[in-house]
Amino acid sequence: MPLYLCNSPKSTISDEAKPAIAADITRIHCEVTGAPPAFVHVFFLEDSPFLPLEGKSVVLLGNIRAGRTDETKAGMIEQMVQSLHKNAGIPIEDIQGTAIDTPARWIMEGGDVFPEPGEEAAWLAAHEAKLSVSGSNI
Amino acid sequence: MTQCLCMVQQGQISAAAEAALRTGLSAFAQDAFGSPAEINWIVVPERSGFSAGEPSAASIVSLGANEPLEQPRRAALLKELCDLWINTTGCSINDVVGVIRDPETS
Repeated sequence: MPLYLCNSPKSTISDEAKPAIAADITRIHCEVTGAPPAFVHVFFLEDSPFLPLEGKSVVLLGNIRAGRTDETKAGMIEQMVQSLHKNAGIPIEDIQGTAIDTPARWIMEGGDVFPEPGEEAAWLAAHEAKLSVSGSNI
Repeated sequence: MTQCLCMVQQGQISAAAEAALRTGLSAFAQDAFGSPAEINWIVVPERSGFSAGEPSAASIVSLGANEPLEQPRRAALLKELCDLWINTTGCSINDVVGVIRDPETS
């Protein structure tokens, strides 16, 4: 986590545009929150009923750890919507972007319960040390 | 029913592994939360999943608890859930994200 889900009708976002958008979303999230890129997942869905379009061309839902202000989340989503506009040529008004919170303590990644925002460095150090002992790599 | 969302990358999990996961997750939900899992299985299309900006091998498995959980119990259940996924699919420990949600409060 965070997990950014981007739903759109098939072929609305080309396979060529997806890596650039994913890179932008990852960069924006990390710049704004200070989280390391390793935590950021971006999945593009096509015509998924899980994330209804409700008249839009694209719906972007960011499921992020709780602890960020509404202003921070809104600013982050606005930049991501701009990336979708720039890379996929979709009008801004046809893109719906939202961020919702999930408490870090509800999440396990890499075999460890997730750190609270701001505690990532210590978590990563402990996690890497644990994996080096067990012979895995992060 | 226990609501369960699974999000996987296309071509990553075989039909046999998916069937085993469905069975295992339902048993896990029954044991942990008292009802079998109602699974929403979502496949991320090829070339459409990214982690750290690179092509992703990550799977997400998220279940809704039947009551608010104390953290030691949640952590133990998360470990059991992720172990189930790893042991069934053979994926790396770094490629599964487990989530156990408390019930929504209004």
